[in-house]
Amino acid sequence: MDLERIDNIPTDTIAGFRVRPGKPLPFGVSSVPGGLNFSVYTSAGTACTLVLFSRSESAPLGEIKVPDHYRIGDVYSIVVYDLDYEDLEYGFKIDGPFDPVQGHRFNPDNILMDPYARVMSGRDEWGVEPDWSKPYQYRSRVAFDDFDWEGDTPLEINDADLVIYELHVRSFTKSDSSGVKFKGTYAGIAEKIPYLKSLGVNAVELMPIFEFDEFENSRTHPDTGEKLFNYWGYSTVAFFAPKAGFAATGKFGMQVDEFKQLVKKLHQEGIEIILDVVFNHTAEGNERGPSISFKGLDNKIYYMLTPEGYYFNFSGTGNTLNCNNPVVRNLVLDCLRYWASEYHIDGFRFDLASILGRDPWGAPLSNPPLLEALAFDPILSSCKLIAEAWDAGGLYQVGTFPAFGRWSEWNGKYRDTARRYLKGDSDQVGEMAQRVQGSPDLYQWNGRSPATSINFITCHDGFTLADLVSFNEKHNEANGENNCDGGDDNHSWNCGAEGWTEDEGIKALRTRQSMNALSMLLTSRGTPMLLMGDEFGRSQHGNNNAYCLDSPISWVDWTLLTSNKLLFDYTQALVNFRHQHPCLRINRFDHPGSSHLPSCSFHGTSPWQVDWSAESRQLAWLMSCDKPDSKLMDAVYVATNTAHYATWFDLPSLPQGYGWHLCFNTGDASTPHHAPTTPYNEHGILVGERSVVIFSASPSET
Amino acid sequence: MEVTLESLNNWQVIKVNGQIDSKTVGELREFIDSELKQGVAVALELTAVPFMSSAGLRTLLTLQRKTSDMGVDLALIGVGSEIADTMKVTGFYQFFTIYDSLQNLPQGT
Repeated sequence: MDLERIDNIPTDTIAGFRVRPGKPLPFGVSSVPGGLNFSVYTSAGTACTLVLFSRSESAPLGEIKVPDHYRIGDVYSIVVYDLDYEDLEYGFKIDGPFDPVQGHRFNPDNILMDPYARVMSGRDEWGVEPDWSKPYQYRSRVAFDDFDWEGDTPLEINDADLVIYELHVRSFTKSDSSGVKFKGTYAGIAEKIPYLKSLGVNAVELMPIFEFDEFENSRTHPDTGEKLFNYWGYSTVAFFAPKAGFAATGKFGMQVDEFKQLVKKLHQEGIEIILDVVFNHTAEGNERGPSISFKGLDNKIYYMLTPEGYYFNFSGTGNTLNCNNPVVRNLVLDCLRYWASEYHIDGFRFDLASILGRDPWGAPLSNPPLLEALAFDPILSSCKLIAEAWDAGGLYQVGTFPAFGRWSEWNGKYRDTARRYLKGDSDQVGEMAQRVQGSPDLYQWNGRSPATSINFITCHDGFTLADLVSFNEKHNEANGENNCDGGDDNHSWNCGAEGWTEDEGIKALRTRQSMNALSMLLTSRGTPMLLMGDEFGRSQHGNNNAYCLDSPISWVDWTLLTSNKLLFDYTQALVNFRHQHPCLRINRFDHPGSSHLPSCSFHGTSPWQVDWSAESRQLAWLMSCDKPDSKLMDAVYVATNTAHYATWFDLPSLPQGYGWHLCFNTGDASTPHHAPTTPYNEHGILVGERSVVIFSASPSET
Repeated sequence: MEVTLESLNNWQVIKVNGQIDSKTVGELREFIDSELKQGVAVALELTAVPFMSSAGLRTLLTLQRKTSDMGVDLALIGVGSEIADTMKVTGFYQFFTIYDSLQNLPQGT
């Protein structure tokens, strides 16, 4: 029997709208029969008015002052009937003290975005200059959230089996050379799924897609006149809303469906999706920044403030979200649960995650409640949680990030060591051996596993791989900051000329160095991450911080896929090789190895003997395990020579019945990748100058 | 928006003229609820629909569920290219059988 509920009847009429007291939870907007339930929290606010708009209109449809008896605790909630969900935009006006020294910045005239808004309008199409005269810029809307998933769920691929591909939604397909119909959008990524699949990656990590404003601090380059944007979007406006400007259908307000369709299609092809999330600060800036939502709702609760009421700036961007306040912590939890359950997101990478472990006065906590809550959350239990384990306030926690057995880390030490070793720096062999094994020096003592380490050599921050081997110095002039922005510790080497060159020898060395880097990365234990386009030599022309450039400097140039086909083929073969060899993906530091060989052993020019001295530039590693589905052994031998001269390596001997097969040799410029069909009958190999060779063991044919 | 119903080769053809959005979609829903005959395949003629909002697309999906429950075919006719693009990238397209014009509609069953 379908009984009609007796609480489904308006009790009051305010400003012409039929209303009744709402339910305080969930926060934000939820659908009830015949109406919408609005709920908003403010602890220091003294009155709340719900402001309703028709889509894009400047003048409100109506303002409903929420009666004080609709408030429970610090939460105002109201049900409004007979609204047109699709056409509706809404916001709140909150009254209260304006007393910045006490941390309060209420302004009863300012219309605030709902911090729980699941759709935001006002920035519907990328790069379209907003009408700044409108009083309400970032406008909350109502999401349908009724997508037909057809049985889709997150993939739950083991961390150690992932190969992550980091990309920027717009940069990935914006160039005409991408060949896709919906350039620079979620739909454009979906069109490139066959490419991702052919490369062999099984996770994409998207740079920020929570609603941000590309016009935040936008400016004009003083010399070139080029428009500079908040292009990367590490500055969240709406935590629950996907960026409309990244959707081909954003102008129709259908970004929610388009993004979900991308997730569904990725999952259908066995590719996970990880979101880069920014909870350390918001787009509201410091005391001079705009009041979009939190500042006007409850400034003192949401931000870390100095005793004088100014904003602490551990993020380097103006403010710091007060993540270990219980209310803010719940907002973060609610947000991630929403993305995991409603969007089927497989994992999250937390920008400047160390900030999330600071107390309200900025001191690092030993057991940060937010990080613990995320680690043990019932809905997030199979989501990857990846920390960028440092912040802009000087906290560096690679290896010591409070992990609660769940968190993995962007391993900045892997990047730095691999780069130094690659370019032939002295005194790197010992540390490189740690990095290759999954960094046990960082993660074994505290009971963590190799896949704790997200291994990478390049990411959006810093040089692309092609630039890492083409530039000694950053060249960020296009950013309009006199080349002062971006890091200087690049550990890069230009191979003999700065930037573009016609010297064939230098060009060949750069290709080889790129292959060397990828070879080390994809034969290391831990979870490898590639940066978009590195597999075919994408360049930013020496710019190591293209955060503001919506231009071909940032956009992936897909013509390189043809011109650098050899590098692409090599990378593709390496990714495939990693998937085929379980010994490279062992996720235990105490793994016993195979029946014949240790799990991971190190070698030099002679087997079992490594020259660990400062001047050594030769290191080989041999990884082994028994294959899970047979009695056969899996073994991979990688020999690296980062010296400027060729060096002979004797191969470790294999047990009876096995032989080595040469699979990769970056020193062989014409055929660096071999299909391992014939056994390798020599007892050793001359590894060329700055070269890597990779062998696999196979049962001998008898 | 105007909605009319006619018969063609064992199909009941709903012809829509005008934009389908949250303002007009209620009318289309009411029409579907009150006018559709049981057991006859449904064709929705959209040649004269320049735009369909999210709410409009959702109504199409509701109609698809409804015809599926009724055990009859549903066909969309003359979907404009921009609407088709929107349907493709948001995942709606795959649920429908689509013909470019009524001439190409096969005999209904």
